[in-house]
Amino acid sequence: MAINPSQRIHRYEKNYSSYRLIFVIVISCILMYQDSQDGYTKTLRTYLSVLAYPVTYVVNLPNNTLKGFRVALSERSSIIDENKRLKKENIQLKSDLQEVYKLDAENKRLYELLDSYPDRQKKFLFADIIATSSVLDRHQIIIDKGSNDGVNLGDAVADPNGIIGHVIRDQVFSSEVLLISDLEHAIPIEITDTGERAIAYGTGNKNLLSIKSIPPNSKAQKGAVVITSGLGGRYPEGFPVGEISELGRKEGENFLTIDLSPFANLEMINEIWVIQTGVTENE
Amino acid sequence: MNKKLNNLIFVWSMMLLTTMMTIMPLPNFFYGIRIEWISLAVIFFSMMNVSLMGVIAAWAIGLLLDLLQGGLLGENALILSVISYLSYRFRFQVRVYPDWQLMIVTLFFLSFGNLISLWIRGFSGRIIFITEEWLSILIAALIWPIFMRLLQMLQNYFVED
Repeated sequence: MAINPSQRIHRYEKNYSSYRLIFVIVISCILMYQDSQDGYTKTLRTYLSVLAYPVTYVVNLPNNTLKGFRVALSERSSIIDENKRLKKENIQLKSDLQEVYKLDAENKRLYELLDSYPDRQKKFLFADIIATSSVLDRHQIIIDKGSNDGVNLGDAVADPNGIIGHVIRDQVFSSEVLLISDLEHAIPIEITDTGERAIAYGTGNKNLLSIKSIPPNSKAQKGAVVITSGLGGRYPEGFPVGEISELGRKEGENFLTIDLSPFANLEMINEIWVIQTGVTENE
Repeated sequence: MNKKLNNLIFVWSMMLLTTMMTIMPLPNFFYGIRIEWISLAVIFFSMMNVSLMGVIAAWAIGLLLDLLQGGLLGENALILSVISYLSYRFRFQVRVYPDWQLMIVTLFFLSFGNLISLWIRGFSGRIIFITEEWLSILIAALIWPIFMRLLQMLQNYFVED
């Protein structure tokens, strides 16, 4: 049966009225603007994230149960091997630690000579990674510890190899960490060999940071270790960041272009800890 | 009443499921290509089951996605509501198309979403062209006929008219 144009079905769907679309677009724009300016959406996010928590829990359930299964089902021999390896590592670390005591005492004595005391109020909070941002240009991860566990905004986050980023949003049960390789990220660093301080910028590439403000007469070498300088107060002093992988001077540039490869493998982050400095608590 | 509740539960559980599939952590094997199952689900429900979805519902689920992904609050919400509106407006023309044309239309809707996201990113000053993003919508469009049939099957089973 052919339908006459005048008889065409025009059922009005309230759910899809253009007014609603316009309303929703306006609301989204306001939200996005506020969010980019760190406006009042910060608190809104904190409360809404509690609603989202069950979903994240369920999403990570297969991953976590798989991990559990792997532990339960892995062979006895491999467990024994791992145990042996860990024991060896433990002994090694303990012997290193003995040296640390000595260095610590020496350090304290020297600081007393100088009449100044370093800020040593650091706590480590172990966390697991819940999700990586599926937005590809945003180097962000979400960890399973939030303000409920004592994570503060701006806390540095490290993995066994080095610094990986800092907390940009603390939600109640989880928090978001911006990685050092993100385009919008910059970290104050110090080159250990020469003591020069600079800022390392993220490049959007997970294996590369860049330093742009070292003068050409610097004695920095390829392979030099770079640590956090502690300036700016966000990152604690002296944590390893990476090593210089490429160093050169481009024609017409006033500064050296230095590429830094981070120690932490930012593509595959497993165990991490949140470094809580006492500074933020006192503020 | 009971019928409507039953249908709403079906739609929202499907939406939640696809949201979870969207943010599921994937092994490196996939090279950063992740399919936005939630966009596909929104397109499906806006085209095929009009009374149970809506612009506001799409917006709400987009907001949830933003919260879960930790992106800009409102970005996915905007994209999903626009996609939902578009697929609603063109549903009469599109529903009768053969599969390959449906795939093209889906690709069009999804790339419209990607363009909005590119535009928003431009505003916040981080304009990067990400190949994986466009590859993933291509794959999503290729998957669409299968996805549609699967949801249709589920819908025939669960939704009461």
